[in-house]
Amino acid sequence: MIEVKNLVRTFNSGDRTIKPVNDVSFVLEQGTLASIVGKSGSGKSTLLSLLGALDKPTSGDVVVNGVSLAGMPDGKLTEYRRRDIGFVFQQFNLIPNLSAMDNVMLPMEFAGVRRTERRQRATDLLEQVQLDPEKQVRRINRLSGGEQQRVAIARALANEPKLILADEPTGNLDEQTGDHIIELLSSLRRDHNTTILVVTHDKALANKTDRRFRLQQGRLTEEPARALV
Amino acid sequence: MSVLARSVGNAFRNKVRTAAVVALLAVAIGLALAMLVANQAVGAKVQELNASVGTVLTVNPAGGQGGPAGQNATTLTTSLTAAIDAGTLGGRNQPANGTTGTTTAQPVRSLPITATGIGGEVDTIGKSLTITEGTGLGDYTAESANALLGTTLAEKNNLTIGSTFTINEQTFTVAGLFDSGPTFGNNALYLTLPTAQTVAELPGELSSMIVTVDGMENLEAAKAALESALGTDKADVTQGQNLESAVSSLGSVKNISFIAFVAALGTAGLIILLIMVMLVRERRREIGVLKAIGAPNRTIGLQFVLEALVLVAMGSAVGAAVASFASGGIASALISTNTTTTAATTTGRGAAMAGAAGGAGMPGGGAGFPGGAGLPSGNPLGGASQLLTSVTASASPGVIAAGIAAVFGVAIIGALVPALLTARIRPIEVLRGE
Repeated sequence: MIEVKNLVRTFNSGDRTIKPVNDVSFVLEQGTLASIVGKSGSGKSTLLSLLGALDKPTSGDVVVNGVSLAGMPDGKLTEYRRRDIGFVFQQFNLIPNLSAMDNVMLPMEFAGVRRTERRQRATDLLEQVQLDPEKQVRRINRLSGGEQQRVAIARALANEPKLILADEPTGNLDEQTGDHIIELLSSLRRDHNTTILVVTHDKALANKTDRRFRLQQGRLTEEPARALV
Repeated sequence: MSVLARSVGNAFRNKVRTAAVVALLAVAIGLALAMLVANQAVGAKVQELNASVGTVLTVNPAGGQGGPAGQNATTLTTSLTAAIDAGTLGGRNQPANGTTGTTTAQPVRSLPITATGIGGEVDTIGKSLTITEGTGLGDYTAESANALLGTTLAEKNNLTIGSTFTINEQTFTVAGLFDSGPTFGNNALYLTLPTAQTVAELPGELSSMIVTVDGMENLEAAKAALESALGTDKADVTQGQNLESAVSSLGSVKNISFIAFVAALGTAGLIILLIMVMLVRERRREIGVLKAIGAPNRTIGLQFVLEALVLVAMGSAVGAAVASFASGGIASALISTNTTTTAATTTGRGAAMAGAAGGAGMPGGGAGFPGGAGLPSGNPLGGASQLLTSVTASASPGVIAAGIAAVFGVAIIGALVPALLTARIRPIEVLRGE
């Protein structure tokens, strides 16, 4: 379970203080597929980075399975990201000179998984995201955008995290590939009881989630359980 | 993929840049290794000089310091023909080449053969004779009729081991051939000291005496003892201090080469530092990604250190090859630059003494005796310049290994700074540009 308590993040820009995340609170039960929608610059990615311990809040706290991230030392935060979080970035952020297989194996290497086991698990994950076997050993820069996004999802699943944070996972993809990614995320939630929080502009994707939030000027509101228009 | 494999892969990400960095490192590392080799070679030479020349005292008759000037060499007659035609040195025997005037035939002049009586198989500076053929002189008695001939002289007279020749109608047998290096030095012969004294009709007389002291620390005491025993009015005791300045020059070369080694090493470290800082700055986002997916700081730091070491390993391989070819030339250049003045002074003295001996010789067979002081005999510094500059700078595996170990040590230090910089990069960098 993720509990977000009065989360605030401010930035100073000259004389002005910007609050992309302003007193945000919500709770997500384990196995929930949730989405956050909002205009560009509304603070969606900032909120995601706070939940994923990429950034530290100005105030407030994020509690994951009863453990508070506030005041946690950097080493522990790294461990939290490695063990409990899977990131899917809008621009994939894969390591360009490594193969798809190596990219998926990377988080497992950091977690100390044995070489044979991580290769087997990476193969399984890449099959799960339907990446052809011959493309699994290709370098990232020789894969299409959709294929790269699938590798990014496989990498996010590598250490079987409790929470997946996906920033515009379909943003750079065509409609068909986007649909496939949505199916994949839904199946993950269903099969692994993984909590998934998706930041998206894509209303179709948002409508397929259990809970939908809207972020406006740093403030989060939950949408009613009906289709977004 | 292990950290090492990833580091190797990263080292080759930009092949053109990698080649440029490796080339720069190769120059710096090659220079460092060449300087280290030169340093070792010069150090060994200084030790050798201190151990041999530096512990030699030369005793000459008073007024004839450093040579036979105080005593006339005895001229004898021999069946030998001198190996060096003096005319070839200055072209003085060449016929006139003109359409007018008269041509006067110049007599052919030869440099005299110098003959020296010795009490052991050493030359007059106490250096062991290099016997190339045959044996030594055997027993050093007055009855000995053996002689050691310089290779050039033997060749000129078609003499081999066992051949005979005469001095003042006394027959001598060639017992051995020696090679002292320079042609002048090989236009000479050695007899046993008692035989030489007998032939020259100078029984019991010595023109010079070489005393080898067991260590540099006893040199002054031995010199004082000799002066006290012989009397300063009768004998001049000089020590190998004539080479002191030359040895000092070599010491300077050693210091310069060490400083250059450290400087080149520092340059290699600086190159690594700068290139790795550049790479860290360039890969901030990638480092952010690695941190975002849970890479510990030490893993990322290690990856950059290993990448630096891969570059250094390649630079070392090329640099070692460069050093193996260049170290000899660099060492020679350093030595010749720093010992030119000393060597010139030393050679000048040698020439002066050769002239003194030449005055006593006769074309075609004169022999200064027993104080014959032509090169190399009779000249305590005759081979000095050659001795000083004959430094062999060979790149031994041990020295190269030590040098490369030092390079790797410096590279690790140079790479640690940028590696530590990676720890300061925050994972939020991953969102830069998104």
